[in-house]
Amino acid sequence: MASSHSNIHSEAAKMEQIITEFYTKSLHIILESRSPYMSSRNFSGEQILSSPSSSSSSSSSVRPRDKWFNLALRECPAALENLDFWRQSNLEPMVIDVILVQRPVNWDTVNFSPQRDIVKNLSSKERYPFCWGSDQEEIGCEGKSEKIVERWVVQYESRKVRDCSSGSRRSSNNTLSNVYKKSILLLRSLYATVRLLPAYKIFRDLNSSGQICMFSLAHRVSSFVEPFTRKEEAEFQRFGFTPVDTSCGRLCISVLYRSSLSDVNSEPSTPMSPQVIPDYVGSPLADPLKRLPSLPISHGSPSSLPFSRRHSWSYDHLKASPPSVSFSPSPTHSEPHVSISNLSSRHYPPMSLPPHPPETSLIHKKNTSFDEYCPSPNFTPSASPSPPIYIPGGHLKQGLLRSESAPFSTPAAKLLSSRQNLSPSSPIKITRSGTSKIEKNMGPIHSGTTMEKLLSLGKDDSRRYSGVKLSSNNSPQVSFSRSSSRSFQDDFDDEFPCPFDVEDVDMTDRGSRPESFDQKGLLSEPLEPGGFFPIKKSQDAAVGALVCMLKKAPPLRQDLSSTTNLSEASRPESWSNSVQETSRISKAPSGQNAPSPSVASSGLLPLKTTADALEELRSYKEMKNLLLSQGARSHASADYPSPAETSSRDSNG
Amino acid sequence: MNCEVCQLKELEVEHFEIREVLRCILHTIVFHRALGLVRPKDIDLELFEITYVQCGDVEVEKKIDDKIEQFISWVEKHPNKKSQICLSFYEVKNKQPSWFTNKIERLYWEQWYVNLNVIQLPKVHSSKSHHSKVVVDPGESTSEERSIRRATLEASLRDVLFQIIKFVNEKKDHVPPISENVMYFPYEITIPRSVPSAFASF
Repeated sequence: MASSHSNIHSEAAKMEQIITEFYTKSLHIILESRSPYMSSRNFSGEQILSSPSSSSSSSSSVRPRDKWFNLALRECPAALENLDFWRQSNLEPMVIDVILVQRPVNWDTVNFSPQRDIVKNLSSKERYPFCWGSDQEEIGCEGKSEKIVERWVVQYESRKVRDCSSGSRRSSNNTLSNVYKKSILLLRSLYATVRLLPAYKIFRDLNSSGQICMFSLAHRVSSFVEPFTRKEEAEFQRFGFTPVDTSCGRLCISVLYRSSLSDVNSEPSTPMSPQVIPDYVGSPLADPLKRLPSLPISHGSPSSLPFSRRHSWSYDHLKASPPSVSFSPSPTHSEPHVSISNLSSRHYPPMSLPPHPPETSLIHKKNTSFDEYCPSPNFTPSASPSPPIYIPGGHLKQGLLRSESAPFSTPAAKLLSSRQNLSPSSPIKITRSGTSKIEKNMGPIHSGTTMEKLLSLGKDDSRRYSGVKLSSNNSPQVSFSRSSSRSFQDDFDDEFPCPFDVEDVDMTDRGSRPESFDQKGLLSEPLEPGGFFPIKKSQDAAVGALVCMLKKAPPLRQDLSSTTNLSEASRPESWSNSVQETSRISKAPSGQNAPSPSVASSGLLPLKTTADALEELRSYKEMKNLLLSQGARSHASADYPSPAETSSRDSNG
Repeated sequence: MNCEVCQLKELEVEHFEIREVLRCILHTIVFHRALGLVRPKDIDLELFEITYVQCGDVEVEKKIDDKIEQFISWVEKHPNKKSQICLSFYEVKNKQPSWFTNKIERLYWEQWYVNLNVIQLPKVHSSKSHHSKVVVDPGESTSEERSIRRATLEASLRDVLFQIIKFVNEKKDHVPPISENVMYFPYEITIPRSVPSAFASF
């Protein structure tokens, strides 16, 4: 008897342990897929997700905790922390609330880190909220909204009717091994279910997107929660797992979940399946002459989003006319999340299509609310270069239908669709870091890179370009915005919208530049991107043209070492020298095709071949001619001869 | 011990969707029957927004993939038919080896029937062969129809997964005890012949 008595006790103790570990394991399973990785913001959570679990079961040591219920899971610090706080008796239910926290617009990303509330419920009902991450109030962020998207309840309902230790209940169904086996089955199905509920998608999006989102997932583990009101509960659906009967009670898990998460944009950062991009329009660099339809600037309200990406990469597929595209140079795959509502929240005005810089300037001018997080004057809006790489038609529809297909729906941006005809599957994630990436991306492409190329080509002509060099990183961008703003405002019927335009407004801002450019008229010309193109075109096309020209330009230096020496020697040369030499060169070919070879070769560039110098001079001449002709033409008609423009012109206003 | 049978909801799939759908379903079932120590592996479907779980065992993965390939070959020979794949779990009962029979008896304790209706949508261009490796959408009259169909299939697939989960939850008693050092119960996947149209699948 004694042995059976001790057996009963040991069995009861084991049962107790099973129940305790059951709580632990279920918490682990739930939080493992609901608690996004905070630290690795720019690191794809996929790797973390996949690496430990994708390793075969034979590899890597199994921790003692893993062996419970034969389910080895990833590390989940959230689970461990919560357990420490929560540790209650097995008779208390464990309620895990998964909360969607949505941040308002005015929100400083610098100090942001997603907040996790961990509430410890003591029996004395005292609550100690622990906030991980920066305090929201310090940031001045108001209006943070929290919404419970899931409520998991894990509990052990004990039977009070009979004495649990009596042997009468020890049927074969309730043996320890049986209970254990059934708990294993229950936890397996919990593991699978957790991945099928709508909140999982949010979790994955948060993890995979390296950028800061408008929302985050928090969780709260407690024993006592305010039950939902009837009205609230109506918004939820319930899924209950079949309880596992034990000798003294039963283990239950159930979940209330919201089947539709309409406020959340949970589009994946990459399209679900590869899609062919219809009507793909390449980057302006690749195809500088292509005119892209511009946005109808009919929407006055800043919160409307036609601007967003209505650029070439607009997905206004509902409109018949313009080809919608996705823009290629997006630095990260999560670019698509640089999104519409993001922009709308920033009060982007509707933008017209073709030039990036006009958008830049326009936004810069019209959005003061920008300044807090878009400090640089040449901020290229996230909108323009980084459209959602959502492809119109196929993928968008898929996204749309995705939201309809599941038992829960996650229509990404119904608010967008209400405003305009954009697909509801557009994402609403703020991607501030994405923005800055784009800024870097676009800026150099348009100006810096160009300048670098220019400079590299003309290393031996550094004296000529030194004026440019002085302000190479700044002026082109500024001049972009300025000239482009002018051009934009004038509806593109201004003088040749060239970033390297020799214009007073531009140049006066730059110290030595004005003189250098004014005096050496020809000096500025090499920078004219439109030198070879007889038609007017947009800024980006102009830059693209410049890039093309530079790419096609023959190498100027034949002998690296000697030219390097020459360039280095020539750098400290004064302006006057360069003026003289330049004017010598410029005067030489005027009206003629062949400058004196001796001048070319002996003057500035003794190491270049004559042919190269001749080529160069020819190009300068052409550019000069073009500039003059452009200048003349710009005062004439306002209309562009470009055939590609159709309705876009109407909208410009 | 009785044999529990679960008939899964029929899914209408196109040829290129078979592999993903079958992998998803079969692995989900096996995961729930791999009661040894597992390190689960989350797999995202490409065609649908569903994440399913594999038990992580390489052998299992290979076996399932092989069977799927066989099934696809079979489907190519019998197009536009409803078909079933049966995943059965059994216990090995060593029969008393007598002098003329030494076979090992299998006692099936669970059978899952995956019901598929492989359709072949009319294409713009006629192309005879469907290579099983090709995961390319056949031409459809409109992409919208395809999207709708895809979405419907995703919802149905999700329903099937929930169906599996519910079945696993409700029927636990028939599951044999877990053996030491055995990761999963022995199972087999059979591809029956074509199913008569009168077959009721639910």
